[in-house]
Amino acid sequence: MSSISKGQVHFFLLKMHSLTGLIPIGLFLTFHLLINSLRTVGVLPYQWSIDLINNLPFLIWIEVLFIYIPLLFHSFMGFYITKVAKTNALRYRYPRNWMYVLQRLTGAIVFVFLVYHLGTTVAPKLWFGHHLFEAAPFLIDVMNQEFATWTGRIIYLIGILSATFHFANGLWGFCMSWGIIIGPRAQRNASIVFILFGGALTVLGLATVLEFSLHPVDVEPSFKGAP
Amino acid sequence: MPDDKTIHLKIKRQDQPDGKSYWEEFELPRKPRANVISCLMDIQMHPITREGKEVTPVVWECNCLEEVCGACTMVINGKVRQACTALVDALPQPIVLEPMSKFPLVRDLHVDRSRMFENLKKVKAWIHIDGTYDIGEGPVIPEKQRAKAYLLSECMTCGCCLEACPQFAKDNDFMGASTFSQVRLFNMHPTGAMEQEERLDAIMGEGGIADCGNAQVCVEVCPKKIPLTESIAEIGRETTLQLLKNLFLK
Ligand code: HEM
Ligand code: SF4
Ligand code: SF4
Ligand code: FES
Repeated sequence: MSSISKGQVHFFLLKMHSLTGLIPIGLFLTFHLLINSLRTVGVLPYQWSIDLINNLPFLIWIEVLFIYIPLLFHSFMGFYITKVAKTNALRYRYPRNWMYVLQRLTGAIVFVFLVYHLGTTVAPKLWFGHHLFEAAPFLIDVMNQEFATWTGRIIYLIGILSATFHFANGLWGFCMSWGIIIGPRAQRNASIVFILFGGALTVLGLATVLEFSLHPVDVEPSFKGAP
Repeated sequence: MPDDKTIHLKIKRQDQPDGKSYWEEFELPRKPRANVISCLMDIQMHPITREGKEVTPVVWECNCLEEVCGACTMVINGKVRQACTALVDALPQPIVLEPMSKFPLVRDLHVDRSRMFENLKKVKAWIHIDGTYDIGEGPVIPEKQRAKAYLLSECMTCGCCLEACPQFAKDNDFMGASTFSQVRLFNMHPTGAMEQEERLDAIMGEGGIADCGNAQVCVEVCPKKIPLTESIAEIGRETTLQLLKNLFLK
């Protein structure tokens, strides 16, 4: 085998940036919004879903390997890609050029939002040791507080809208860069599909925000003192 | 303000590649069916600014005068296009002329586009017809494929798609839409396909296809209406397959 050049590494890292946006980060985002929207169906299903996740074996390893490392890699590469862009959407005002700018802008917004979101949820959960069945009451209480103020609601609205746009438009970019869609008609049809998909994800997110804002509830651990 | 008897031009000038740029304005008598090149020719014969100062004639490049050579590409009223097909009657005044900003400047409106030709060499944008032995005649191409190839072959290496691309800059190696489209053109030719792997390897590196951010400005500004984003996606597919081949088959 011949040795690998700097250019090949560059190409490979960009392809991995593209891939991590979909697998696992995009998949995680989809399931995250979907599972959270269980809150709109009922408090119990929501609590059980949190119980299930927090009782998974090797949870911290799953999170680090399949969420945090890919997310940090995608973000780091994303900021590098954003840095080298010479945006010119004010001069060349075409819809796709605006999307190109928005893809970079929403990426940065999502990053800031995630720092905040992890800072108010996962970080205190780990810090204060709310493990296993203790996690759900703690996290639900945190979310009640988050959605008690308009500041909190607006932060989540911006975060969710940025993430769903970034993912839906990113899926379209993914299909372009891997050559899944090719001709102009395929490109247009795919954008319709991804607009609908992004719209559905947004509805899930907004419904959850609405439910938490209108009906905050406190819950007890499903099992007291369970190991 | 210019009336319908005069043409008002504002031109960004620069005397040397590393010099400072400055603006000069010219007012010319209006001629019927004038285009930007004919205005520049008028200035060349009578290089006097609006203020009445005699200056050096403005330098620009042109050749075919029918939008097939790409030499006269410049930024007109903020958008990149060919000066020879920029009809004065269709342009709001003052007509603002600037050189392309993403290529090294030679003088005034004249830039050096050799980066594009270097990239065509890197991707072997040609078809080998001879070698140390006779490779014989190529196969017959279906008419549909020929029509598609013809569309791609109309590229005149003008640089519009690169000037308008947010990923293309003076200080990076991005090859840009026209190069990827030429890779597609020569890969789809039955004889050209023999060098397909070399061409793909050349664009699977720094400045290659993965650096495209899908802003799709290239396809909007291409004067020859070349389906550039279709080429980019097709090359995306070819490089994806090549990547899998390199990773799992070699
Ligand atoms: C909710 C988390 C995120 C998800 C689901 C996500 C998903 C995606 C997807 C699917 C793509 C398309 C890949 C492609 O164009 O082939 C993408 C592209 C991109 N992402 Fe993310 N991403 C997320 C967070 C971030 C963050 C935090 C940044 C940091 C700035 C970022 C920056 C970018 C950039 C700049 C692109 C454009 C790449 C290009 O078009 O060349 N993303 N993202
Ligand atoms: S799609 Fe956008 S980033 Fe890619 S070459 Fe065209 S203008 Fe440049
Ligand atoms: S692809 Fe179009 S815009 Fe780009 S160099 Fe060729 S003719 Fe010019
Ligand atoms: S002179 Fe050839 S394109 Fe304008």
